[in-house]
Amino acid sequence: MRKYLSVFRISFAQEFAYKINFILWRVRNVLQIFLVFYLWDTVFQDPERVVFGYDRAKILTYVFAILVVKALVLSARAVDVPGEISRGEVSNYLLKPIGYFKYWLTRDLSSKALNLSFAVFEFLLLYILLRPPIFVQTNPILIVAFIISILLALLIFFTLLFTTGLVPFWVPEGAWGLQFMVIFVATEFLAGGLFPLDILPESIQRVLFYTPFPYLIFFPIQVYLGKLSSPEILRGMVVALFWATFLYLLMRNLWQRGLRVYQSQGR
Amino acid sequence: MKRAIYYLKIWFLMNKNAFQTVLTHKLILFMFTFSKLLRFGFFLAFLFFLVKGTQTLAGYSSQQAIFFFMTFNVVDVVSQFLFREVYRFRPQIVSGEFDLVLVKPMSALFRALLGGADVVDLVTIPPLLVAVYLVGSYLNPTTPQIIFYMALILNGLIVAAAFHIAVISLAIITLEIDHTMMIYRDLMNLGRFPVDIYKQPLQGILTYLVPVGIMVTLPAKALMGLVSPQGVLISFALGAVALVMSLRFWKFALTKYTSASS
Repeated sequence: MRKYLSVFRISFAQEFAYKINFILWRVRNVLQIFLVFYLWDTVFQDPERVVFGYDRAKILTYVFAILVVKALVLSARAVDVPGEISRGEVSNYLLKPIGYFKYWLTRDLSSKALNLSFAVFEFLLLYILLRPPIFVQTNPILIVAFIISILLALLIFFTLLFTTGLVPFWVPEGAWGLQFMVIFVATEFLAGGLFPLDILPESIQRVLFYTPFPYLIFFPIQVYLGKLSSPEILRGMVVALFWATFLYLLMRNLWQRGLRVYQSQGR
Repeated sequence: MKRAIYYLKIWFLMNKNAFQTVLTHKLILFMFTFSKLLRFGFFLAFLFFLVKGTQTLAGYSSQQAIFFFMTFNVVDVVSQFLFREVYRFRPQIVSGEFDLVLVKPMSALFRALLGGADVVDLVTIPPLLVAVYLVGSYLNPTTPQIIFYMALILNGLIVAAAFHIAVISLAIITLEIDHTMMIYRDLMNLGRFPVDIYKQPLQGILTYLVPVGIMVTLPAKALMGLVSPQGVLISFALGAVALVMSLRFWKFALTKYTSASS
């Protein structure tokens, strides 16, 4: 446990080694929030208007929740895994008494801690600048359910990112293409990071809810906003747990198969 | 004229090489092309369902909202296709390899800006233009409106070129390029919707600092007959000023190039 605490500490400090990188990454997040905020602000100019089951307070809370949930779920260092595999740097870890998955999960958690602290600051700053009406959830059961759904989202995203990052074992230059498709494009739209998925027709939503993507951003925020009934929350958590388990097993299987073909090229 | 043909030949040669490099990784090319088309399709679907549910967006109909998005894509995709080499400029400056560009009998700016077009974007341009034509024809534009639209698209590309020149000039001085480009791209992405939906000070930034409004919103408005001839002239003047200023900045930046590491 102590060695992972050290990894957490070092990784946290490393983020500060590239301050401009990190600050500009956060600036980009804020810019993306502006797009979504002003879009919905325009749609909900009339405070009494209810569209897609949202009133002004709930939709703008959704927008602000995207900032925090994205910082928690989507910030990750495991995006560097494909590079390590294609450069043969995985050999360094295979020789050390450290679990490769645990190592990257720890680094991800460290990145999430740092991003979350900035996201909270940005949340306050944007709140002061934009003065949106914010919906505050007071039901303790829903708050606990929200926290559980976030933990499941973290696991799904980690296993999804890691699994797509294992491609260089077979195609050394292939990871970026697959990660662009799965992590950047699919996650941006199908996870609810740009718009709440319930603006889509019921039939599309039903199909989407069998994929892992809605459980990354949309589902946790829906739980927080109290838009789901207890059976819907339970069913959502079961599906999210299924995806976390399935992707974990797939990740382990691919990792073991990958190590069999790994040639430590470049070392 | 002779000089233009000379540069056209160089452009074809450089980009034939760039395409051949990309075509050696067909699977990756397919994945990126597919992903870009997927992203385009997702956003189009989002806009369609959004405006279907809300009836209008800032007073614009669903066809108009989709046309704004299409126009954004034309400027964005064409400028990415033409100016992709900018993303590869930093290593040349850091390693000092830019020396080899400077000694060649051609404009170093031409090489740095247009030296490596993006084949992925080239593949997506024809279907995009067809889509623009189809959606645009539903708006029943007049011939002058179509001419203004095309002229303002060209003006948008000139502003995009000016911004890319400014970014590589800044890279010579500061060695930073990736984040400047990413922030530019994020600001450009705000042009997916008409800039009228944004409030001050963001609207001011999108009009004067990174003039996304002039690059993207104005051409679409011109096709809808919502821009006066004076507005068109002012946009051209701003485009010309942006280009002249960026070229001056490039000349200044070259005097700061240290040829470090070479």
